[in-house]
Amino acid sequence: MTPSTDRKRFTVPIGPQHPALKEPGHFAFDVDGEIVQSASVRLGYAHRGIEKATESRTWVQNLYLLERICGICSHIHATAYCLGVEKLAEVEVPPRAQAIRSLVAELERIHSHLLWLGVAAHEAGFDTLFMYSWRDRETVMDILEALTGNRVHYSANVLGGVKYDVDDKQAATIREGLDFLEERTLHYLEVVTTDGLFLQRTRGIGVMNRDEAEQSGVIGPTGRASGVHRDVRIDSPYTAYAEHPILPVYESTGDLLARFIVRLREQLASFEYIRMLLDHLPNSPLTTRMPRRVKEGEAISRVEAPRGELFYFIKSNGGDMPERIHVRTPTLCNIASVAQLVIGQHLADVPMILVGIDPCFSCNDRTSVISQDGQRDLWTWDRLRQYGINHYGTHYSKDIHR
Amino acid sequence: MKLGTLFKDALHALFSRAATEPYPNPQPNETERLRGRLMWAPEGCTGCNLCVKDCPANAIDLFVLDKKAKQFVMRYDVGRCTFCGQCMQSCRFECWHAANDDWSLAGTTVDGFTYYYGEEDDVERVLAEPVEEHPVKV
Amino acid sequence: MTELLQVLVTMLFFPAGLFLLANAMFYQWIDRKLVARLQDRVGPPWYQPLADTVKLLANEEVLPFGVNKWLFIGLPIIGLAGALTTALYLPIAGLPPAYGFPGDLIVTVYMLSMLTLCLGLAGANTRDRFSMVGATRTLTQLFSYEAPFLLALLGPALAAGSWQLSDIMAYASGNWLLLTQPIGFVVVIIGLMGKLEITPFDAPEAETEIVAGALTEYSGRGLALFRLGQWVELVIGLTMIAAFYLGGIHNPLDYVIKTLFPLLIIAGLQTLMTRLRIDQTVGMWWRYGALLALVQWLLIFLMGGGQ
Repeated sequence: MTPSTDRKRFTVPIGPQHPALKEPGHFAFDVDGEIVQSASVRLGYAHRGIEKATESRTWVQNLYLLERICGICSHIHATAYCLGVEKLAEVEVPPRAQAIRSLVAELERIHSHLLWLGVAAHEAGFDTLFMYSWRDRETVMDILEALTGNRVHYSANVLGGVKYDVDDKQAATIREGLDFLEERTLHYLEVVTTDGLFLQRTRGIGVMNRDEAEQSGVIGPTGRASGVHRDVRIDSPYTAYAEHPILPVYESTGDLLARFIVRLREQLASFEYIRMLLDHLPNSPLTTRMPRRVKEGEAISRVEAPRGELFYFIKSNGGDMPERIHVRTPTLCNIASVAQLVIGQHLADVPMILVGIDPCFSCNDRTSVISQDGQRDLWTWDRLRQYGINHYGTHYSKDIHR
Repeated sequence: MKLGTLFKDALHALFSRAATEPYPNPQPNETERLRGRLMWAPEGCTGCNLCVKDCPANAIDLFVLDKKAKQFVMRYDVGRCTFCGQCMQSCRFECWHAANDDWSLAGTTVDGFTYYYGEEDDVERVLAEPVEEHPVKV
Repeated sequence: MTELLQVLVTMLFFPAGLFLLANAMFYQWIDRKLVARLQDRVGPPWYQPLADTVKLLANEEVLPFGVNKWLFIGLPIIGLAGALTTALYLPIAGLPPAYGFPGDLIVTVYMLSMLTLCLGLAGANTRDRFSMVGATRTLTQLFSYEAPFLLALLGPALAAGSWQLSDIMAYASGNWLLLTQPIGFVVVIIGLMGKLEITPFDAPEAETEIVAGALTEYSGRGLALFRLGQWVELVIGLTMIAAFYLGGIHNPLDYVIKTLFPLLIIAGLQTLMTRLRIDQTVGMWWRYGALLALVQWLLIFLMGGGQ
C-alpha cells in the first residue's frame, strides 16, 4: 500500500477487513477523485488446506469435509464429489436419487440467488430490498430443512445415492413454498427493472460485452449476463438434467442490471424445474452399494453451482482414501474480471461490481507452488510460519511506522 | 421510471407482525427430520465399528467390553459432531437416530458435551477406567 | 442573579441542554423503529440510542497517528454546540423561543451547517483514506443541498415578510403553508434528509464503500458527540418544518404530533430509496432541487405573498 501523502496515487484499500466484504480478500483501487484508475486483487487470506486434508480422510469422511468448502453452495460440492467418486468406482446411482440431487441443487440455487439479491441490494444501499429478500429466503431454507433436516449443509448426498426421500406431504410443502417464492421473485424482478433510483445504480454499470467475457473466462450467471452461452447443466448434463433438461437463461447487455435479471430469471426457471421434477420423480431405491475402496484411476466431474461451473479432479490409488483431490470454484474464474470491470467506474459502484460476480473468497483460496526444475518442494509448518512472518513483517512495517 | 416500488410491501410490513422470530421464547417448532443430538441404542449393535470409521468429525467412540455378550458403550462428543447423519446411514441395525427435539446444545463451559450410551453397568465400568483420549486419525 | 440563572437553565436544561438531548435520542429511536417496522423487522428497544451513547462515552477514545489533537477533540464539541444553539431560537416542545433577533433564521440555518462542516474537517484532519473520501463527499454534499434548502426555507420568510423566526412562526400559525407552498415543503424535507446523511443521501458515510466516511477514525466520545449532534439536527429540522409549514406549534401535544408527521415521511422515504452516488446527488440537487425552490419563489411572488 502506498502512503496516502503520495499525490499521484490515492489508493483506496478494500479488505481484507471491510464492511463491503463478508469474507477476507484484498482489493487496492487507485482513484482519481471518485474514478477508479487501476485495481489489483490479492487473495489467499482464508486458505484452509482442505485439499490436503482430504488425502488423510476416507472417501466417506471427505464427502462431509468437501461439503463444507462453501456454506452457501454446499450441496453442489458434495454432488460434484459424489459424481466423480461414483464414476471412478463404476457405480450406477438409482434414478430417484439422481432426481433428488437435482431437486436439492435447484432449491439451493434459489436460496443462493436470493441471498445474493439481498447482498447486492445492501451494497447499493437499498437495505429494504435486502431485508425483504432475506425474509423470503427463509421460505426456501424452511423447505430445505423439512426435506433434509438442516438449513445449511444439508448432507443430503451419500456416496451411491441420497439419504432423504421426498414424500407426498413434502412435495406439497415444496409446491406451496414455490408458489409464494415465484410471486415474490416476479415482484423483485419488477423492482430491479423499474425502480428509478435503483436503475441508476445498475444500468450501464460494469459493462462486460461478450468478447471481454469470453477472454477473461467468466462463467456462471456473470457470464450468462454477458451472453456467454455456457451452462454445465446443458452442455454436459449430469444427475437428472440429461433426462429433464432445464431452461437456460441468457442476457446480452452484460451490465449489473443484466446480472440481476439473469439470477432472478434463473430462479424462475428453477421453480418450473422443481415442479416438473416433483411430477416425474422416478420410482427406485435411494441408494446403491458403494465399495469402501475405490478403483485406481482419475476422474473429472463438472457441475453448475449457483455461481458457475464447479470443477473437481479426483485421483484414487485404489485405497480407502483419495490420493489427490483438486477443486476449482467458480469465483476463481470470475474474480479477475473485477479488476478490469472497475476501471473508469465510480468508487461508489465498486462494491456492487465486486458483488456482481457473487464472490466467495474462502471457497476459492488455493496455494500452488510451481517449481521450474521439477523438484518436489516441501513446505513444513515452520517454513510456512516463517514465510508469513517475513511477508507481513516487511509488507506492513513500513506502513505502520511511517 | 418508477419510484418507491416497494411501497406496498413496506405498508404491509408496518401493519403486520415483524418477520423476526422471537427466539428463545417461544421456541420454534421442530421439523420432523431435524437432526439434533444423536441417540444410540445398544440393542442392535454388533461392534462392527463402521459408524466410528465413517464419522467425519471423530465425534464417536465405541468401547467394546465383551463382543460376544454384546456389551458395548458408545461415547459421543456433541461438541465435535457436525450432524451430518452419516452414522445413521452407516449402521445397518439402526442403532443411531437423531433427536429432533434436542437441538439447543450450546453451553458456556466445556463440560457436559460428552455423552455415554449403553447399559448402566457398562457405562460405569468404562467411566471407572482411566480415560484414554481418542487418538486423532492421521 | 435571576437572569444568570435563567441563562444557565436555557443553556443546560431547556430548551438547549439535557431536554433537547433526551428529545433527540427519543426521535432517533422513533426513526429507527419506524424504519425497522417498514422493513418487517422488530427494531431496537426505546433505550437503544441512550445505551449507544453511554457505551460510546465509556469507550476509550483512540487518537490516531498523524492527526491534529486539538482539532480531533474540539471538532465534535463545536459541531454539537452549534446544533444545540439553534434550539434557543426555536419553539421546542411548543413553548415560545428563548431568544430571538431579526435575521436569526439565517443564523439558525448556518449553525445547523456547522456540524456538517465540522464533520468534513474531522475527516480531512485524519490521514485515513476512507475518512478523506468521506470528508470530500460530506463537503460536496453540503454545497449541493445547502442552497436549495435555504432557498426553500426563505419561502415562508418571504411570505411573512420577516427574517426573524418568531415573526415567521406567528405568520405560519395562522396559515398552513403546506397548502400554499407545497413545493417548498418537499424541498425542505428532502434537504433535511441530505443534511442528516440518511438514505438516499448517505453516500458520505456509505459503509459498503468507505466504512464510516469521515467518522471512520472516531471512537468513543468524539463519535458519540457527532452522533448526538446529528440526532439533535433531526429534532431541530423537524421543529422548523412543523413551525413553518404545518400551521405552527402551539402546545407540547401539538409539537409532538406535528413533528412526528414529517418524521414518518422521512422514515418512509428512507425505506423506499437506494443510496445515490455523490455525483448523482449533486446533479439531482442542482438540476431539480434548486429549480423547484426557485419555482416556489416565483409562485410566492405571483400570488403576491412577497411584501
